[in-house]
Order: sequence, then structure tokens, then C-alpha cells
Amino acid sequence: MIEVINFTKRYGEFTAVDDLSFSIGEGEIFGFIGPNGAGKSTTIRFLATLLRPTSGEGRIAGHSVTEDPMAVRRVIGFMPDDFGVYDGMKVWEFLDFFAVAYEIPKAMRRRIIGEVLELLDLTHKRDDYVNGLSKGMKQRLCLAKTLVHDPPVLILDEPASGLDPRARLEMKALLNELRRMGKTILVSSHILSELADFCTSIGVIERGRLLAAGSIRDIQRKIRAHRVLKVELTSGETDRAATILRDDPAIDSVEAYGRSVTAEFHGDDEDMGRLLGRLMAAGVPVQSFAEEPLSLEEVFMMITKGIVN
Amino acid sequence: MWMRENPVLNRELLTTLRSPRSFVLQFVYVAALGALVYFYWPAGVDDGSRMVGPGVAKRLYDIFFLGQFCLVALLAPTFAAGSITGEKERKTYEMLLVSPLRPHTILIGKLLSSLSYLVILILSSLPLMILCYLLGGLLLSEIARSYIVLVLAAGTFGLLSVACSSGFGRTSSALVVSYLVVLPLAAICVALTRADDPSTRDFASVAILPPVCLMIWTVVGIVVNNRLLRPSDVGGQGGGVVDEEEEMKYAIGVVIDRDAFPDRLFAPAKRNDLMPDGTNPVLDKELRSEIFSQGTLMLRVVIQVSMLLSIPLMAGLLFLRSDLAAYYVAYVLTFNLLVGPVFSAGSITQERERQTLALLLTTLLTPGRIVLAKLTAAMRVSTVLTFLLTEQILLAYIMLPELRGRPWTLIVFLLIIAATCLTTSSVGLMCSALSRRTSTAMVLSYLTLLILFVLPLGVRWYLQGVSEEYDLSPGRLALITVTSPYAAATSVPMHAYRPGDAWGGDRTDFVTPPPAAFPGGWSVPVWLVFLVACPVLAAAFTGVAWIAFLWRWWKAGDGA
Ligand SMILES: Nc1ncnc2c1ncn2[C@@H]1O[C@H](COP(=O)(O)OP(=O)(O)O)[C@@H](O)[C@H]1O
Ligand SMILES: [Mg+2]
Repeated sequence: MIEVINFTKRYGEFTAVDDLSFSIGEGEIFGFIGPNGAGKSTTIRFLATLLRPTSGEGRIAGHSVTEDPMAVRRVIGFMPDDFGVYDGMKVWEFLDFFAVAYEIPKAMRRRIIGEVLELLDLTHKRDDYVNGLSKGMKQRLCLAKTLVHDPPVLILDEPASGLDPRARLEMKALLNELRRMGKTILVSSHILSELADFCTSIGVIERGRLLAAGSIRDIQRKIRAHRVLKVELTSGETDRAATILRDDPAIDSVEAYGRSVTAEFHGDDEDMGRLLGRLMAAGVPVQSFAEEPLSLEEVFMMITKGIVN
Repeated sequence: MWMRENPVLNRELLTTLRSPRSFVLQFVYVAALGALVYFYWPAGVDDGSRMVGPGVAKRLYDIFFLGQFCLVALLAPTFAAGSITGEKERKTYEMLLVSPLRPHTILIGKLLSSLSYLVILILSSLPLMILCYLLGGLLLSEIARSYIVLVLAAGTFGLLSVACSSGFGRTSSALVVSYLVVLPLAAICVALTRADDPSTRDFASVAILPPVCLMIWTVVGIVVNNRLLRPSDVGGQGGGVVDEEEEMKYAIGVVIDRDAFPDRLFAPAKRNDLMPDGTNPVLDKELRSEIFSQGTLMLRVVIQVSMLLSIPLMAGLLFLRSDLAAYYVAYVLTFNLLVGPVFSAGSITQERERQTLALLLTTLLTPGRIVLAKLTAAMRVSTVLTFLLTEQILLAYIMLPELRGRPWTLIVFLLIIAATCLTTSSVGLMCSALSRRTSTAMVLSYLTLLILFVLPLGVRWYLQGVSEEYDLSPGRLALITVTSPYAAATSVPMHAYRPGDAWGGDRTDFVTPPPAAFPGGWSVPVWLVFLVACPVLAAAFTGVAWIAFLWRWWKAGDGA
């Protein structure tokens, strides 16, 4: 759905984004993570047809970002990281303004504005002036604006920045809701936990370079020679399980406590199957056998450590 | 203490005076004055065509004084009107207010920092003035007097502009209101201090001017001080919501009624329902929401001041001396020159400053449509406001037989005004597309318009003095001025003035100014050339605006 191919942007001597490539499949939520100044907004503005690349190409729903920006605009909803609102406009006027700008006929506009306000829980603010809204409300209003033309792709630059914890949670719930509606979403953040729960894939960018991109599990696999296996048993035969695991060449270390065994593991999925088979064959009462999910934080720390070392 | 340890003053002085631009500007200024002196310097005894001696010194002194006075009147507002609105636009105003600085410290800091550069400019002309003194024929007291007048004027105009700045949310509003207040004052001041009788002159500039200035300083100072002490919401951070109805309740004088004629022409009422299909949303937004988003104060002041000024001008230039009708038109043109850029110079920079440009540009609106909508909206407002002043011309044409007999001149006048509206708006739009900040765009538009409208008159005036030497026919001289609506208005043939017969029936004696002589031997009246050239120029300016707009956000990757 979204493809970035060798995107590079230089400001004079300074390279803001360096040869970035990644792609996002339909229906995915792609978390674009990186510290401040990493080049997230630059990439996003490029995808939103606001920035000409020094070199490289981008495609959204098959349309070229550089050659057919109008077609791209039709399929994306864009929310910038920093934005203002017009003075002297009411909430419904603001949405109507953008709906007209997206050439939506009047008969549909009435219904859409109602729906969007409903979805973003702004119905009670319908007749308020936009410049009198709080930051969180403005953020929601801007998200509402990106939805008026029902775009299949949403590009959101730090939608949760500057929000209080409660508003952050609400924003998360909203994004989940939008994913359920089948939208492809690119959302950036410099805070990992913000994206952890609902992203299907992530890209980590630092100093203009993409350090890793792909589904969270792919990345975990790529960056870790060893994953963490967690085996839970129905009875306390942890020692036997630990011994079996320790003997396997794909296992680095084993720890056992209570009725569970954790093992550091550097094999692939087949090795995992083989291990389970061996445990079962030895008659170990396995209740569950799974890879311990790695938090995004841990992934991020590992990736950035990688470049420091 | 408030001068030497004033942090506001220190910060601003450091940033403005140390910039290389200010040195360059000062150099250019002194160089221009030097060139003037050089040209007028008596070239030797054998050159009989130029005056030698006291006459030259007097003339130079007059040019110097008048030129510098105009400079003060034009520059003081540009330096000072942004002093407080700038803080509001950068959202640093509240930080400044809550700091332990006392309001008068802020006020004095702002005033001195915005004027110090102007005063330095004025003083840098002093050596040249001394040079003129050496030519003889000038009194030292005369020179001292004129510098006192200049400095007083700079202080008063600057203070008034800072006051306007504290009263408005946007630099563009503050700037135009400052000009509306300062320019009439400057005209009065020039009239007083340039009276032919030297004793009236001295009396006016020594006995009247300083106390009047002092009075203005005190009153305005107290008002601004109170404003800074207790800032109201309306003039506050600029982010607040202005309740139009609430504001109208406390309005003094003109009340703007968006449902009634003529106000609905430039400010149609807010919509109660969705826009109809096919509306240009940008145009609709500009007219219905943006005009009054900062409150109606600026518009009300503009309308009231222009109406007030038009009354004596109408009496003098239309009814007492109807042959001078073109000069009333010139007043209307000047009004448009001032007001036109206000509505267009912010049109693109404001989207940038408010960070709404990225929202606008990712919609399906093309840059062309956005630029055209901005131009239409700006032009509509400034044209309606300007044409409010043509009522008086219509009245004169209905009532005075010598004008009534020649309705085509009325049509030409109105067309000239309309063409000027088009030019001022498109120049403002172009400067807006070329600048980063609204205040820069405003100053740039005024500068461009002065070059188009006023500079040709100055050049013609200068060349007239030397026309014999260079063999310039009046037609060639007229050709220089075709971009100036002032020249166009005064080129319309009017009846000759006969003293004592103001209401004088049918007339047959007309004064026809020289038409513009094109190189091919063609002679066309200046107003006709102007009317043809204006739309072309305006289209060119809009084209530049469009290209600059495209380039800025796409090629330069600089959308926000
Ligand atoms: N117009 C510009 N001119 C020069 N440098 C810029 C410009 N825009 C962004 N940069 C630089 O590019 C880098 C990436 O910025 P950005 O994409 O905004 O980072 P972030 O990941 O925080 O969104 C930053 O170091 C920033 O200073
Ligand atoms: Mg950013």
C-alpha cells in the first residue's frame, strides 16, 4: 500500500534522510519510531506530497508521490506533527471546509461530518470555535479532518504528542478502531510504548537511516541471534525439562523457577518445533511452549545499542 | 535604570543593530543623500544653467528636510508597529507580560529599540546638512530646528505605532492603523512647519509642536501602560476566540452589520449551514471567517478614519475647487495603497505562520485555486472599503453642473480606482508568496507599491528640472509615469480654474495634460495606458505569486 524506495532528502550539506526504503502492506499499522530529529517528519511530509525528495521515489496505493500528487492526496489522510487551526471558524465549519476541499457533495457532507464527529467524540463541540479548543481536542479535530474523505491510508505524524495520559489512551483506542475499519496507518512517534500495543510492523529510524523495518516479529528475529523461550509445565518437573533443553545445540542458557523454564535460544522456527518434539517425547508435561514476546522498548534498545557498538 | 538595564531594549538592539543588513541600509541611505548633494552642488561659474549660492542651499535643505520627514513618517510605523504584535505572533507575549518587567520598561524598551535605528539614520545625514550650511544662506538655528522636528516626529509616530501594536493581534492590522493615524498627522506637521512665513514656522515648531507631542506621549503612554498591565483577551495571545457580537456591543461609532448593505459586500454573514456544492472553500473561509477573526476593531478604525478625512477633502477638492477632483481621487488611491496590502499580504504568510498550510496543501485544492481565491477575497474587501469613499465623488458629479456635463471622466476615475485595487491586492499577494513573515510581506508590498506609484512621479519631477539639458519632451516624461494611478488621475482633462466661480455652469476651457508619447510616434493619454497596463501588471504579479507559492512548498520542500 505504501512504498518508499531509496528516499533521500538533503538540506544543503545536511542529510536529513539517507536512502530510506520500506513498504507497508494493506491493513497494517506501521509504527515509525525514532528519536527527535531522526527524519520521521521529513519522510512523512514526503509521503504526504509536501516535500520534494533529493532522490528516491514513493508510492501510495500505486500512485507515485512525486508524479501524481493529486491522486495520492485523494487516498491519504494526513495529520502533520505541528499544525494550527483557522481563527473564527466553528468545528463543523472547519470540517465542512475540508470536506469541500476534498470535493465531497453536500448531501454526503452532512452525513459524514456527523459520523466523524461521532467517531471522535466531538459531537458536543460541534458549535465551538476551533481556536478555543484544548490541545487534545484540536488533535482529535485534526484527525477528524483527515477522515472526512474516507481515505484508505492514514499518515499521522506524532498524533499523541503533547497529550495527557488519558487523551493518549483515547488516541490509541481511536487508532485501533480505525484499524478495525480496515485502514492502512502509518503513525510516527518518539515514544515506543505509544505504538507497542497495536502496531503490526515498525520501522526504526535514527539520524536519517532506517535501522530496521518489518513486522515486529521479523525484527525481533533479525536483531536477536537468540530469542527467549518460555516453557510452562503442569507439574514441577522443571529439572528434567531444563536438562533436555540444555543439551540442545540451539539453546544458550536455561533458567528454571517454579513450574516454568526460560531458555535463551538462537534457532529458527524449525528448531523450536524440534525442541517441543523432544520435550513431548521425553514425557515432560508441557502446558505451554512459546516464545516470550519482546516489548517494543526492548527491541528499540537492542537496535539502537547495535549502532552504538 | 530603565534605559541602561532594560532587557527588552538590549535584546532588540543587539539583534537589529548588529545585523549586516542595517549597516548596508545605512550606507545606501547616506550614499543616496550624498548623490543628491552631488547633483545639486554648484558645478562652477561657467555653467549658467544651475543656480549657485544660497538658493541651492535652501533648496537642498528643503529636500533634505522633507525627504527625511517622509522617511520618518513611513519608517517609524514599519519599525514600531510590529514591536508588540510580533511578540504575540511568536507567542512570546505572555512570557514577557508575566516576567517581572514593569509595563513601562517594556514600552520604553520597545519604543527605543524600534526608533534607535531610525534616529541613527536621521543623524547620519547631519554631515551632509553641514555641507549645505557651508554653501551659505542657511541659519544654524534653522537646521537645529528641523532636527528637533524630526526627532520629535520620530518619537511621536513611533509611540503611536507601538500603541497600535499593543491594541491589535496582528502586525498587518497594527501597521495599517498606524499609517492611518501617522500620515494625516505628518501632513499637518509638514504644513505647519513649512509655512512660508519664517516666524510662523518657528513658532509652530518650537512653541506648538513640543507641547503637543508631550501631550500625545503622556496620554498614549498611560493608555499603553494600562493595556500592558491588564491585557484584555481580545488583544492577547491571538489564539483566543473573539466573540463578534460581544465586541459589537461595546463598539464606538461605526457598527459593522454583516447582514446589511454595504458591509455584506466584504463581510458576508457566517453560514448556518454547509457550503453549497462548487463553492471555493478558501474564498468562503476568507470572507466569512478570517476577516473578523481578530475582531472588528481594525476595520472599524479604518472605515472611521478614512470617512473623517474624506469630509474636509471632499469640501476642498470637490465642492470648492471641482477642477481638483483628481486630487480627491488621489486621496482614495492613497487609502487603497494603505489598505489593499493588509488583506492580501498576509494571505499566504499567515497560513504558514499559523501552520495550516500543510493541512490546506494535502487537500485536492490546487495551488492555482488557492492563490486565486486569496486574491479574490483580498481584493473584494479592499475594493469595497475603497469604493465606500467614492460616494463623495458620485455626489459631486450629481450636484456640480461642470462635472455633470462630463460623465466619462467619472467613469475613468472609477476605473482608475478599480485598477489600483487590483494592483495593490496582487502586489500584496505576490509579496506574501515571496516572504516568510506577514510583517516582511507588508513592508515589501508597500515598498513595491511606492516604487510603482510614487517613484515615477519623483523621477518625472527631477527630470523636469533638467529636461532642457537632455531634450525630453513632456510626452516622454509622461510615459515614465504610466504605472502611477496618481499620474493617471491627474492626466484626466478637467476644466480650468477660474477664481470666484466655483459653481460655474457649462465649461469649455479644459486643461489637457500631455499624453504619453511612445517611441513609435503614438500619443496616448496616460490614464488610458494606465488602465490597459494595470490588469497586465496585476496578472503578472499573480503569476509570480503562483509560481513562488508552487516553488516554496514543493521545489524547496519548505511547505510549513
Ligand atoms: N527545512 C529544513 N531545513 C534544514 N534542515 C531541516 C529542515 N527540516 C528538517 N530539517 C532537519 O532534518 C532533520 C530531521 O527532521 P524531522 O524529520 O523533522 O525529524 P523528526 O524525526 O523529529 O520528525 C532534523 O535534524 C532537522 O533539523
Ligand atoms: Mg517530527
